[in-house]
Amino acid sequence: MSSQPAVETHGVVKTFEEGRIRALNGLDLRVEEGEFVALVGPSGCGKSTLLHLIAALEPPDAGTIVVAGHDLASEHDLPHYRARHVGIVFQLHNLLPNLTAAENVQVPMFELGISGRKRRERAGALLALVGLEDHGTQRPAELSGGERQRVAIARALANEPGVLLADEPTGSLDSEAGRRVLELLDQIRASKGTTLLLVTHDGSVAARADRIVRMLDGRAVGEERPSHQVRAATGGER
Amino acid sequence: MSFLSLIVRNLVRQRTRTLLTVLGIGIGITTVVALGSITQGMKATSEDLLRIGGADFMVAQKGAADLSFSTISARDQRAVERQQGIESAWGVLMHFSRVGSNPFFFTSGVRREDMPAVVPKLEAGVLPRGLRQLVLGAGAADSLDLRPGGTITIDRTVFRVSGIYRSGSLLENAGAYAPLPAVQELARKPDVVTVVYATVKPGASVRDVAMRIEESSPQLTAIVELGDITKVDQGLRVLDAGNLAISLLAIVIGAIGVMNTMIMSVFERTREIGILRAVGWRGRRIMRLIVGESLVLCAIAAALGMGLGVAATRAVTLIPAVSSFLEPQYPLAIFVRALLIGFGVGLAGALYPAYRAVRLSPMGALRYE
Repeated sequence: MSSQPAVETHGVVKTFEEGRIRALNGLDLRVEEGEFVALVGPSGCGKSTLLHLIAALEPPDAGTIVVAGHDLASEHDLPHYRARHVGIVFQLHNLLPNLTAAENVQVPMFELGISGRKRRERAGALLALVGLEDHGTQRPAELSGGERQRVAIARALANEPGVLLADEPTGSLDSEAGRRVLELLDQIRASKGTTLLLVTHDGSVAARADRIVRMLDGRAVGEERPSHQVRAATGGER
Repeated sequence: MSFLSLIVRNLVRQRTRTLLTVLGIGIGITTVVALGSITQGMKATSEDLLRIGGADFMVAQKGAADLSFSTISARDQRAVERQQGIESAWGVLMHFSRVGSNPFFFTSGVRREDMPAVVPKLEAGVLPRGLRQLVLGAGAADSLDLRPGGTITIDRTVFRVSGIYRSGSLLENAGAYAPLPAVQELARKPDVVTVVYATVKPGASVRDVAMRIEESSPQLTAIVELGDITKVDQGLRVLDAGNLAISLLAIVIGAIGVMNTMIMSVFERTREIGILRAVGWRGRRIMRLIVGESLVLCAIAAALGMGLGVAATRAVTLIPAVSSFLEPQYPLAIFVRALLIGFGVGLAGALYPAYRAVRLSPMGALRYE
């Protein structure tokens, strides 16, 4: 186990609607580098909110979040942090509709000043990694749901982030497409050593993780480590 | 995919809206270019008028509302002729009347003894030898199909064409020179001229001589340069002011149009802006994207406006009544101004939408329905 965790949160609080809704209520969480953690729990327990805070898409009301050594409260360049250190995959692919698959993958690279030629090369390699090397010129509307989600994964990996955040990435997919997306995430984690933090409602998806963190009312209320047999049965271990 | 191609893609997505915006701004710029080239043409015509017969300067009645309303008596004309430093001076009575299809046929009445020095080089025929004779500009001769020996009727008075001259001045070329007494009779202005042209002796200062004339004859004003013509003719000043007002209006109306387009575009793409922020785009880059779209839109509109402006003024000169006194000019400054207006409109119209886009929080934008 590494001394510096990939993600560490202490007493994180996040409220909405002027404090009437308490999405996170003093959450503590530690995720080690390269670990695959599944966040499970009922709707409204704060799973997605936690991912959004870790991705620095919005700030917490209280508490600290440290990702790869970056304390987000004192991080002055949040766009650079988002571009360089985390990749996020949403339940809905959130691809830009007027761009092709390859161009969508290139979008995050602009901020890091990567040259046009390198952007194209890297996008091609990432699409190959997600099995869509022949779909680079297609727009999202011309792709299936599973293919769009794989493009979104390729985009999330564009700048080789240390932490990949996946917010119910299989939630809008049929079981076969969902299985392929999960296999892909597993494979990426294994090959690149990327830390994976995945939100899901699906027990079989969670069972592929190294660790399952159960959330309730904005807190982590328990955790378990799926057995080798279970992980192997769900395809999480090979 | 380059940043510029991303900008162009975003514009092409909403073809109709982009086209209509381009058209709206383009028409504004067309007006600016057309009015600018016409104003320049008018100035060129006025400049020609100022230098008739190779004069160093022109003297007119002080305070005249329009140059054509200026009247200078024979006594004042003699005072100019006798002024120290004057080499030669000749009075011209300007008379505008309809001849054929030209409503602004320009007849210059000049003393016959001054004609050899004043009238441009003859292509055919001779200078007038009688009161009812005149020499015709080549442009007028062509349009009226007249040759020496032919006749022309001006205000019910028949003149015989004694010769044809060719001049670089549009107004002269489309008009005629006739003996001064005949034109005074036509215009019903006996013993007066409109202006007096003068040349100064070698070594004399044009400005000094002109100033002395104004000092000794306070009822007269000397016009040495085109800028001085506003002393007796407000037309150019009015045109310049109109040009400026229309340019400002074009900027304001164009900027509102662009702002409307860009605000709609930002609203429609709120989620997309959220995605761009989520994948690490800085506010600066989002701003560059929105301002870039606006500038490209306005650059296309400026190009369209410049093309249409030139085409419109060329089309106007197909009308004989216009072509007789106006040749639109297209100095680089007009196109630079059109580009600057396009740039100004693009920038002014984009700043607020860009500011709104940048102020969106990533999550707020992603949650936008």
